[in-house]
Amino acid sequence: MIKTHDTFTRLIKLSPTLLVALLVIPVIGGLIGVLLPAFGYLPALGMKEFSLQGFNALIQTDGFSHMVFLSASSALISTLLALTMTILILACFFNSPWLKRIQRLLGPILVIPHAAAAIAISFLITPSGFISRLFSPWLTGWELPPDWLLPHDILGVSMILGLTLKELPFLLLMALAAFAQADLGAKLRAQHKVAMSFGYCPMTAFFKVVLPNLYTYIRLPVLAVLAYASASVEIPLILGPNAPPTLSVAIINWFNDIDLTLRIKASAGAIAQLMLTATLLITWWLLEIIVKRVFYFYVTNRKRDYAGNAIMHLTRIVTVMLVASILLSLLGLVLWSFAGFWRFPAFLPDQLVLIHWQNALTNIQPALLNSLYIGFAASAIAIILVLVTLEAEQQRAYALSHLSSFIIYLPLLVPSVAFLFGLVWLQEQISSHHAYINVIFSHLLFVLPYVFLSLASSYRCFDSRFSILAASLGKSPAKVFWQVKLPMLVTPICIAFALGLAISFSQYLPTLLNGAGQINTITTEAVVLASGASRRTSSVYALIQMLLPALAFVLAWLTPKLVYKYQNKA
Amino acid sequence: MYSSLDIKELTIWRNKTALLSLNESIQGGEILSIMGPSGSGKSTLLNWLTGMLPPTFTAHGNLYLNQQNITHTPCHLRHIGLLYQDPLLFPHLSVEGNIAFAMPKLSKKKDLENVSLALEKVGLGGLEKRSPASLSGGQQARVALLRVLLSKPKAILLDEPFSKLDSELRQEVRDIVFKQIRAHQLPAIMVTHDHSDAIAARGNIINLATLEKRYA
Repeated sequence: MIKTHDTFTRLIKLSPTLLVALLVIPVIGGLIGVLLPAFGYLPALGMKEFSLQGFNALIQTDGFSHMVFLSASSALISTLLALTMTILILACFFNSPWLKRIQRLLGPILVIPHAAAAIAISFLITPSGFISRLFSPWLTGWELPPDWLLPHDILGVSMILGLTLKELPFLLLMALAAFAQADLGAKLRAQHKVAMSFGYCPMTAFFKVVLPNLYTYIRLPVLAVLAYASASVEIPLILGPNAPPTLSVAIINWFNDIDLTLRIKASAGAIAQLMLTATLLITWWLLEIIVKRVFYFYVTNRKRDYAGNAIMHLTRIVTVMLVASILLSLLGLVLWSFAGFWRFPAFLPDQLVLIHWQNALTNIQPALLNSLYIGFAASAIAIILVLVTLEAEQQRAYALSHLSSFIIYLPLLVPSVAFLFGLVWLQEQISSHHAYINVIFSHLLFVLPYVFLSLASSYRCFDSRFSILAASLGKSPAKVFWQVKLPMLVTPICIAFALGLAISFSQYLPTLLNGAGQINTITTEAVVLASGASRRTSSVYALIQMLLPALAFVLAWLTPKLVYKYQNKA
Repeated sequence: MYSSLDIKELTIWRNKTALLSLNESIQGGEILSIMGPSGSGKSTLLNWLTGMLPPTFTAHGNLYLNQQNITHTPCHLRHIGLLYQDPLLFPHLSVEGNIAFAMPKLSKKKDLENVSLALEKVGLGGLEKRSPASLSGGQQARVALLRVLLSKPKAILLDEPFSKLDSELRQEVRDIVFKQIRAHQLPAIMVTHDHSDAIAARGNIINLATLEKRYA
């Protein structure tokens, strides 16, 4: 490969290092920023000696072991449930046109912010929610809402439900993306047919032939889901138990307490959270090994059918229930946002009014603008960084190292509760007091991995003959980049941008912490409203939260068409 | 001055095993055909000729274009045109846009006006504003050829240029391409699977499979 040495190539060459540094420094720096106070070092409070005081306080906290148990159990159970359902849906609809339809139905759920999804689910299962209205009074005989502690039940069932419903579409889409790789999908389908020709029922054939090969491709997403569920804040905050809450929520409460000495305990908690997540990941890894061993015995036991038909029917029923509960919760949200008086157990509101939307729309402007500013800034920076990194990869003609690729996903694996507080401290240390810049930067950490994930495959699959051809026509690398690659990749770039916007819109913790509570976005407002205020206002905010990413994707779909139209006219 | 493309004592290695060796001189208007089964190093040779040899390969030897050593010149400064089996027209540009994109920066206004004339000459008159996707396979192949020629290359590389065309079209496009290469007196190298292509080129034929045996 003969390299040019113009300014463009020289600048591009630095970009992978820049990208990695931008992700590593805040995460590692953030971790150090909680590690020091966790061991009692907090000069701002005049504490300069290392001690275990924070950890002692943490362990003596009432219900500490229960918090840890809640976090661990809800993460493990919801991940297991979501994975099981994903596998069952794939197995049941493997050769059916319904797989595509389910994918289309669940796809949009992926970009619904966690907070909005949690609000929708809480309104579905609450005692006066849609489900109890659906069955009252004809089945249950209830004339008044039952006295249930739902959501916020002590066992965390509603939280597990929320996590499962949000994780399931993600895992399903990741599995379908693996199938979409031309050779893998075709190969697995052919092997499935071979197994059926040996007399295996479709269900068993899927489990014995397709699943072992497929799992390698969804392994990382499963681990990411587990890590996320163990440290998530929005969903336990809106759906989880209050006394005691999950560890992640407790940490946030301690950090936000006016009693600053609680910071020591909170930092120790952040370290505990980190260890908890790591332990869960290791547990999962051990589970994988055991399952693989046991499974191997069953795969070769020559049994052709394990009540395949019954399981298939069951899967169909559960899938219908899943889809129904998603649609019902959305419908409920829409109805609440327009509801005037709505007595229990009426299925529909007595009157529909616009006042909640009008009220919200007059108050929402600053939060809406903040969401847009921050989202556009973070996504634009992410797109530029990812594009130049991928271009650098092509110019030097070898892929990013495994370490670099891993680092790109670091902010998704390290619990954000554990490093964001440290990042705030780090930003204070370098006197970065501009709240907007701090928030945009913290959003960037979460937007970058997704933008990279979404752009990398199309950029790497770009037919290199086009670039060689353009170069043979005398175009410098810079011109090839601007005049050939970018215009031809306009569709994936727009989609990555929309995804970046959606991710930024949904960020709760980074906005709250790195903005020092000064910056309100649609998401922070929605979370605040969910815990108190009127159910109607809350619905409006949750819906706006869902509409924003939807609009972004409509734009991503329209822009390339307009660009092409313009170019063909020119 | 005669135009010529000279490959001088080239050897390409992969992991310390020699993949191919070559020493050839091609005069303007001559078409050298390279044949051989897949894996024999045909595309590696083309990559070296364009200056895009992947880092997993090492090469020794020199490449001269019109007596000028271009072994270490980046691809975009070599003035070697490329024609692939796919027309690879840029989908975001019109037919005219594709050709204008290829023309040298200092093209005179007259040249730009001649695009229509050139299109007409290859039977594509009036298609200037069309998007490449709306053209038939044969039309796309002819636009691709015109694009290469109007970029004023000093030599041309053909990578299985006709393998995706059906037999009737194949002969027609092949005749146009060879006629133009001879008319412009360009040295050309063609990589092909098809023996009839190599014969129609009327130049030397090198079989990399037998070469490999010879140098092994």
